[in-house]
Order: sequence, then structure tokens, then C-alpha cells
Amino acid sequence: MQQRNHYKKIEDFLADESFQKWVREGKEREHWEEWTVENPQRAKLVAEARLWVLATRVPEPTLSSSEVAAALQASRDKIKSIEKETTVPSIPLWRRAGWRSIAAVLVLGLALGWLFKRQTLTQNTLTYTELINQDSQGLIEQANNTHKPQLITLSDGSSVLLQPKSKLSYPKSFEGDERKVYLSGEGFFEISKNPKKPFFVFANEIVTKVIGTSFRVKAYTDQPNVEIVVRTGKVNVSSNQAISQLNNETVQLLPNQGVRFARKTLIFEKITDLTREKPDAQSVTAIEQLSFEFSDVPVAQILKTIEQAYLVEIDYPQEKLKDCYLTTSLSDQPLPEKLKIICESLGNTTRYEMNGNRITILSEGCN
Amino acid sequence: MNKIQPVFEVVNSSLTDETLWQRLKAGDELAFSALFERYYRSLINYGNSLSSYPERVQDCVQDVFVNLWLYRNTLSDNVVVKAYLLSSVRKRIARLHERDTIFRQTAPLDAVQFSLDFSIEDQLIADEETSAQVSQLNRLINALPPRQKEALYLRYHQGLTIEQIGEMLDINHQSVSNLLHRCIQHLRKEWKGDLTLLFMLFSRIL
Repeated sequence: MQQRNHYKKIEDFLADESFQKWVREGKEREHWEEWTVENPQRAKLVAEARLWVLATRVPEPTLSSSEVAAALQASRDKIKSIEKETTVPSIPLWRRAGWRSIAAVLVLGLALGWLFKRQTLTQNTLTYTELINQDSQGLIEQANNTHKPQLITLSDGSSVLLQPKSKLSYPKSFEGDERKVYLSGEGFFEISKNPKKPFFVFANEIVTKVIGTSFRVKAYTDQPNVEIVVRTGKVNVSSNQAISQLNNETVQLLPNQGVRFARKTLIFEKITDLTREKPDAQSVTAIEQLSFEFSDVPVAQILKTIEQAYLVEIDYPQEKLKDCYLTTSLSDQPLPEKLKIICESLGNTTRYEMNGNRITILSEGCN
Repeated sequence: MNKIQPVFEVVNSSLTDETLWQRLKAGDELAFSALFERYYRSLINYGNSLSSYPERVQDCVQDVFVNLWLYRNTLSDNVVVKAYLLSSVRKRIARLHERDTIFRQTAPLDAVQFSLDFSIEDQLIADEETSAQVSQLNRLINALPPRQKEALYLRYHQGLTIEQIGEMLDINHQSVSNLLHRCIQHLRKEWKGDLTLLFMLFSRIL
């Protein structure tokens, strides 16, 4: 309260919370009264400032605490319904793990018929190297030797987030009426829609066929299982014909469903606990956990979410885009498509350029 | 208003905005509720001064909090919580307003207007002289352009800094400072109150 000795304008008093309190509530903690009469020059200013306070009463909000509580509840409900729509449910059904729940999972698996024909083949595995050698097209191989997921954009506009210690082989451009890529390790795929040209991921003994969707494939050469988890769309999973001429079963997966293929026994089994262990880089939020449903959200925030999801850097004119808000659903598109939608929504002066994991958005602001 | 506060609120009131903000960012639902309870009333109040549709204002304020939670991962660290919330509410209402006018193709397309009328602290005024002075000043203040009134409100009732107000109203802070100063000077000139007389009255009250 020493600074009040330097007050020279009524603004200074008005900005002082304790002065306002004194005038409005008569609270005398800071000895305003004594201080005022010490100096006549000062008293004049105080008198004027006091009239200002008296003339600028702001009506107090009349909400009761139960009204505030109801509003809080309403907001929580909104959050819940939005979260339900957009995120992968983590199913804590069998959380209290004990032998009983393990048994229950097994029984459930049997009952649902997720157990496929058991084959006794033991040494019939396919590896990434063998798969690539079978493909006659010239393939590009990208290996992720870093500690973070790496973004790969394919010629058809699909995007793949390749996990550390993983490799992906793909043609420079997709010829013919199929799109085929080969994976070793783990990747999250977002495939651009093209019903005329289905997309195949070959990973160990498993072939995943899609038209346009997003899903994760986990197929490390040195691990006993191959896993596929679907986020959006529909996915068909089957074993590679090279190892199972007789067994042509196809498993169809819908969003938030997953399947595990035991490489030794060649058995498909439904993944019931989608509370999956996180990918290698713990500090990074897995893309499936981020929401891409945006309702009236600043573009800056949308771009930040994309940066987090794809581990890319986005440059954009912050000043020009600071008042731009979008309502859009981007859950179901690969990265290039997401960027295209954002740019189009901002208006025809906006476009993007992509160079590896650096994205530049050029814009003159939004409509 | 002197009801006994529930324990929860007592705990809240001891935590600073910054602490609650960090906890919310880390996914703490209690911190979310605490900020909600701390600011909901005054945000509604501010919102209502910008729009004449109380139900929409409620939606806007709630949506600000909903987004705060949903996008908590992307919130920045250095934020003055109160300024952030007031500013978010303002932007939301402004956009809603803009959309509506485009939709209806009526009304001019200007931004939202601050339309709160300051009132008078009747109970604190004992004599007629002061009362006359205050009413005159009150009339003058209420006749100010909406932007100036809003700046006054944000500065002296919400306690925002000049910089924060500049950001919110999209003018540089030197202009805010000038605006507030000019506004007060202007009023003082207009205001024909006899300050000497006033001072005498005032010292007599004391």
C-alpha cells in the first residue's frame, strides 16, 4: 500500500481494489480514511474518485449456487457426450484381474466365435524380407531408427505414422488396381478413400485390406503376435495365402475393434482389452487418443493438435489466423486430406506446402 | 451471502488460478470444477452485457469451459486465467452474433456491443448534493461509446491490465491507455460538479 502515496490521477485509485472495497463496503483495513485526511490535495482526488466508484456500480450476478452447480453439471455432460463420440474407449471391464476374469475372457472369446480354425503348422511364418522380395515393383523403403514416430506420406494422399524400430516399403506411385505396402513393426495408417483401388498392408503373415479408413498394425518380426486395431471405417483382415492356401477366412473389423493373430498357431483372437500399452515414446500422446472433432475451435489449436498427433511442425501466419475458428470433423482423413480441408475452410487464399515433417500454411486470413 | 461455505470451496479459494490451471492441464477434474465455480457467475454477467439472449450466453460460457477441458493438452502455460476466460467468452459471443446477423441478413455487421448500464450505489449516498453529482456522472458514463464503457468495465471491475484489454478489444495497449485517460478527462470536463464544494462536503462527512 506504499504505492498509493504516488497516486496522481483518479485512474490510479479506481484501479486499486482496496480503494474500491473501502468505498463500496466501508472496509477499513488499509486506513484509507486516515490516509486521505493527511493531505488536502490528496483529499480532493479521493473525493472525486469516490464519486466515480459510486456512479459505476455493476449489478451483481443473481445466480444461486445451485444454478452454478447445474451449469457445471450441464458442461460435464456435454464433455462426456463429446468424448464418447470421439475417443477410443478404454475398456476397464476386466480391470480387477484375477483368474476368474481371465477365464471369463476366454469363455467370451469362444462363445463369440472369434476362435478360428486351428492349424498345426508351426514353422510357416513369413517375414518382411520375404514379402518384399516377392513384390516385383520397385519399392522405396523407409526405416524409423529414431525414438519418435515418423510420418510418411504416400503418393495417394494416405499417411502412415511409423513407430520406432519399424520399416515400411511402398512403391513411388501406385500402379494397377491395387495399393500394396509392406510393414515390419508398427504403424498407424490413415488411408485415403478409393473404392476402385483397395489398399493392402502386408505385415508378417497377415494381410489387411481396406478401402479408406484408419487403423494400427503391429507386426514385429521378432514378436509372436500380429495385432490390428481399427479406429474408423471397416477393415478386412486375413492371413497371407502363401501360408494358408486352405484357410481363407477373413475377419471383418469395425471401429474400436481389434484382432490378434498368433503366428505360431495361426489363430485369430479378438482383442478385448483396448486399454493398449502405449507406443514406445511415452511422452508422446498416441494419435488415437486425440480428438479431431472440432466445434468452433481456434485454428491455432487445431494445428497444435495436428502437430501433436503427427509429430510435425506447422508454420502459419499466427497474426492473420488468430481470429479464425472452425467447426469440422477430421477424424477420418489422412494428414494431407486434413490439411486440405482446413485450408479450404479458411478460404481460397489459403494453401499448404509439405516438406518432410515441416508443413507451411500460406494464408491471408479467413473469410 | 454469509452462508457457511462447503469445505470444497474453502479448499478452492486457497489455490491460485495458476495452480488450478496447471492441474486442469494435467487432467484434474476438481481443478476444472473449481475454476468453473470461481468464474461462472462473472462470465455470465459479462456475457449478458454483450448479448441480450441470456440462454445463449449460458451456452457460450459453458462451451468455453467444455473446450477448456477437451483441449487441455494444447493450452499454453503462461495464461492469466481470468483474462483468458473473459476473452474467450467475448470471442464466442462475437462469432455467434456475427453468424446470426449473416444468417438473418439484417442488422449491421458490426461486432458485439457492450451494453451494460452502470448503476448508482444508492445506499452509500446520504446527502442530496452527492446524489446529484453522482447521477450526473453516471449519466455521462453511460452515454459513452460502448467500447470505452467496456474498457472501463474491464479495467476497473474485472481488474484486467491495459495489455490484456488491448488484446481482448484488439487495439494496441497505448491506445487503451489513451482511451481510458481521454475518457476520464473528457468526463471531468463535462462534469460540472463543483469540486471545491464537493471537497467541503466530503470532509464534513469524514
